[in-house]
Amino acid sequence: MPQSWNLIYLRDLLRELIGRDIKLRYKRSLLGIVWSLLNPLMQLLVLSLIFRIVLPLDIPNYNTFLFTGLLVWTWFQTSLFAATGAIVDNRDLILRPGFPAAILPVVTVATNFIHFLLALPILLVFLLISGIPWSDAMLALPFLFTVQFLFTLSLVFFIAPLHVRFRDTQYLLGIILLLGFYLSPIFYEASVIPQQYQLLYRLNPMVTLIEAYRSILMQGKYPGILNLLLLSLVSIALLWIGYAVFRRARSQFAEEL
Amino acid sequence: MPSPVAVEGLSKRFRRYSTDRAWTLQETVLRGFGRRQSEDYFWALKEVNFEVVAGKMLGLIGRNGAGKSTLLRLIGGVGEPSEGRILTNGRIGALIDLGAGFHPDLTGRENIFINGVISGLLRQEVALRFDDIVDFAELEEFIDSPFRTYSTGMRMRLAFSLAVNTDPDILLIDEVLAVGDLAFQRKCLERINVFKEKGCTILLVSHDTNLVAKLCDEALWVNEGRVAAHGPAEIVVKQYSNAMQNETQRRTPINQINSNLDNGAALQVNKNRFGSLEMEIHNVKLFNDRCKPTEYLDSGDPLIVEMEYSAPQAIDSPIFGVTLTREDGTVCCDTNTPAPALGSPVVFGRGKVRLRFERLDLENGSYFVDVGAYQKDWAYAYDYHWQVYPLKIGKGNQKKGILKPPQHWEFEQEKD
Repeated sequence: MPQSWNLIYLRDLLRELIGRDIKLRYKRSLLGIVWSLLNPLMQLLVLSLIFRIVLPLDIPNYNTFLFTGLLVWTWFQTSLFAATGAIVDNRDLILRPGFPAAILPVVTVATNFIHFLLALPILLVFLLISGIPWSDAMLALPFLFTVQFLFTLSLVFFIAPLHVRFRDTQYLLGIILLLGFYLSPIFYEASVIPQQYQLLYRLNPMVTLIEAYRSILMQGKYPGILNLLLLSLVSIALLWIGYAVFRRARSQFAEEL
Repeated sequence: MPSPVAVEGLSKRFRRYSTDRAWTLQETVLRGFGRRQSEDYFWALKEVNFEVVAGKMLGLIGRNGAGKSTLLRLIGGVGEPSEGRILTNGRIGALIDLGAGFHPDLTGRENIFINGVISGLLRQEVALRFDDIVDFAELEEFIDSPFRTYSTGMRMRLAFSLAVNTDPDILLIDEVLAVGDLAFQRKCLERINVFKEKGCTILLVSHDTNLVAKLCDEALWVNEGRVAAHGPAEIVVKQYSNAMQNETQRRTPINQINSNLDNGAALQVNKNRFGSLEMEIHNVKLFNDRCKPTEYLDSGDPLIVEMEYSAPQAIDSPIFGVTLTREDGTVCCDTNTPAPALGSPVVFGRGKVRLRFERLDLENGSYFVDVGAYQKDWAYAYDYHWQVYPLKIGKGNQKKGILKPPQHWEFEQEKD
C-alpha cells in the first residue's frame, strides 16, 4: 500500500479521477458542457408542453417547479446509472496494486454532482425570470447537497458490485428508475397523492429531497429539518452497510472482471 | 528489518467459469436460486512459500499458465489469497499491464498526472518529478499529444518511466522489458540496477531465462502452481531450461531424495539442493589445517573443502565448483575445477574431491560454503548444495566488508 495513504492522498486521487471523467466527457465533443444540460432541458420542454397545455396542472411557476425537480432527479439518476459502470469500466484501476476501489463510487457521485452544479445557474435564471426573490434559506443548500450525496452514494455502493456479478443489473435499474421518476414529485406536487397513501409515498427519500429543494428555492423557507435528519441517519446507516458489502465484494472484482 | 516480500503458505483458487455460468440476474432467477451450480475450482497456486531479501532481484520463471503472473498480482494486492498470506513492506510499483490506466484520449501530460496519483504519489510529487519522467521516456515533443497517437514503444517508455519514477520499495515487473528498442532496453536495465543498489526489491516475471540468469540474484521456478525450485538464479534457470529440453525423455524423476546431514540441516531437493542428480555429492566436510572437521575458522586460516561423489553411470568430465557466500548471499569467492578441455577424467563410481584454500582472509562473520558438480558445458547442474554448509569466521558479529588481508598500520611523522 502506498505510504501516503492519507486524506491528502485521497483528495488528490479523487481530484484526478473526477478530472479525468469530466475531461473525457467533453474532450472530443463540439457542444462540450452543453450536453449535460441538454437532457434536462429537453425533458423540461416536453413535460412543460404536456402539463401546461395538454393536461394543465395548476401549479404556479411551473417551469421553475419542474426544472428543480428534474435537475435533482437527474443527478440521482445519472449517478445510479453510472454506478453500474463504476467498477466494470475501470478494470485497469481495479487490477492496479493497492488501488482503493472504494473511491470509484465516490468519483461517480461526485462527477455527476459537478454536472448538477454546472446546470444550477440555469435554474437560477429561471428563478429570476419567475421573479422569486433570493432568500437566506439558500444557505441550507449545501446541507441538502450533502444529504443527497450520501444517500446516492450509499446506493451506488450496492449497485456497483452487483453489476460486476450480474451484468443485467442496468436493465433492472432502468425499470426501477423509471418507476422512481413517476413515484417522485417531479412534475406534480406531492400533495395530490391521496391521504391514505401519503405515508407509503413518503418512504421514497426523493420525495423529501425534492420538496426540500423546492421549499428553499421557490418559497424561500427552510425545509422541515426532521425528515432530512432522518434521511441523513438512514443514508449513513445504508452507507455503512453498503461499504461493508463493497469491501466484501472487492476481493472478487479481479476475478470477475 | 522485516523482509520486503514474504509469502507464506499461499494458495489461490479460481472458480472455473463454464459457459453455463449465470452472468445475469434473469438467468439466475430462471434457474431458481435454490439450485446451486456444481462448483468447479482449480488451484492456480498451491502452498507457495518464499521470501525476498531487501535489495535482491527475484526472477519468476515457468511455463505459460504456471501461475507466475497470478503470484505477481497477488503480491501487488490484486485479489486475495484463498489460503496463506502475503506480507509486503513498502511502496509497491508495478509494471504489470503496460499502458493500463493510460487513457487514449488524454494527453501524455494528463495521463502522467492521473497515473502518477493512481500509483500512490501526491499531485505535488508528480509535478516535481514530471520533467524526469518525460525526460527518461524521451517524449518531450509529444507530451501534449493524445496518448492514442503514441506508438507501442512510446507507450511502453512512458509507462516504464512513470513506474520507475515513483520510488517504489518493491517493483513488480511482468514481461515488459521485451518491448522497446535496444537502446531503451539498456536504459531500463541500467535503471533497474540503480534500483537494486538503492535497496529496492524487484520481482521479475520473464520467459527470457537468459535475462533472468543475468539480472536476478535468485530465481523461483513455478510449475503448475507450485514452487518447483527456488535458489540462485543461474542454477535454477539452468535446471529449468534443462527440464524444458528434456520434457519428453525426462532423466530424473523428481522424487524427494532428502537426506539429513551431520550438522542437523536437511538436504531437500529444490530447496537447498538442485540438479539432475545423475551424479550425487555427499559427505561434504570442511577441515581446518589440523585436518579436523570444523565450522569455525579464524581469519587467515586455511580451509579444506572435501566432498564425496557417487556416479552410478559414467559421467564425462564433470566440473566441480565451490562458492563462498556471505549470509546475505553476496558471493565472496567462486572457483571450480579447470575447464574440461584440460582433461578432467571420466567419473564413474565413488570418489572424493578436495579443495584447499591456502588462507582465507575473510572478515569476521557468517558464511556458507556451496558445492556443486556440473555438466561439462555448464549446461546444468548434476548436484548443487546451496546454503547448506555454514562457516563462521572469527568471533563476534558480521563486519562491514568481505576481505581481511594480513595487514599492519605504519606511522611516519615528518619533522621540520
